[in-house]
Amino acid sequence: MPHKCTQCGREFEDGSTVILKGCPSCDGKKFLYIREAERHDDVLKEKSIEEIALETGEDVLEVRDEGTKREIEIFERIESIRILAPGSYELNIEKLAKSEEVVVGLEKEGRYMVDILSMARRKK
Amino acid sequence: MEFLVRTKQRISQFLKTLFKKRTCRIGIYGPPNAGKTTLANRIVRDWTGDAVGPVSEVPHETRRVRRKQDVTITGQNGNSLTFDIVDTPGVTTKIDYNEFIEYGFEKEEAVRRAREATEGVAEAMHWLREDIDGVIYMLDSTQDPFQQVNIMMVGIIESRKLPILIVGNKNDLPDASPARIKSAFPQHPVIAISSLEGTNMDELYEKMTAYFG
Repeated sequence: MPHKCTQCGREFEDGSTVILKGCPSCDGKKFLYIREAERHDDVLKEKSIEEIALETGEDVLEVRDEGTKREIEIFERIESIRILAPGSYELNIEKLAKSEEVVVGLEKEGRYMVDILSMARRKK
Repeated sequence: MEFLVRTKQRISQFLKTLFKKRTCRIGIYGPPNAGKTTLANRIVRDWTGDAVGPVSEVPHETRRVRRKQDVTITGQNGNSLTFDIVDTPGVTTKIDYNEFIEYGFEKEEAVRRAREATEGVAEAMHWLREDIDGVIYMLDSTQDPFQQVNIMMVGIIESRKLPILIVGNKNDLPDASPARIKSAFPQHPVIAISSLEGTNMDELYEKMTAYFG
């Protein structure tokens, strides 16, 4: 099920991470999950996306604007594991699945431990 | 008759391109701020009049691998060696943006540099895994050579069966101790240089042609 930007109607694939930063066309921050049946209603029935949202009762996904000091999203991170505090971890599943190279992030952005040995192994 | 000669020439040309060994690639590895780029620049400037990249006092200045292709050096023994020189980001196990804050960078820039430096380590290791035929392992002679990362890296290079030359840099500084480096790595040739002042480069070139040739 795709999303549409409620402001300009641009369509995004389901699971698209692009929208997490806001709509690249109009910078809109609200997106509607749209069902296949209503997918083209905005054009065919000349409704606004917000009207469709009201009718279908689907949740509108809102991207909160945290300004430029936004934390780097997990999918953009370079570390595979982040230690937030002793005993508290965040795993970057995507990174772990993609490569065996281990970089550990410590607390906040910008502090890293690098496992050199994991990077020296030849890929299988 | 002419046809036969031409065919023969063509076949030998084809075989030459097919089996031509690619130029040997020598990587300069070592911890951050050892002077890897200064050395790469010196070698490249001495033999081609060119440069590899900018240097600075700030560690992790080189955050991407840089390569200069087809550098030919000649030792005093008359032996020549043509190679690609690969200048790599400093390999270390710990990177903290506070290191950059100390050099006066804003937090945002410091965090960005820390991130790039970490990616640089991964890139350097990738080259070592795939594309390097010989290593110049560079150390700052004023620092303790027995740090874990040095022992580990030399071990990794040995396990890859790559020839390795250890270079103790910064011998222009008063507290430099090349003897300490020799005692740390007795199994490998150690050359003491100052890439900033260009001292002992002849010995390095001689060793390189003998060792990597």
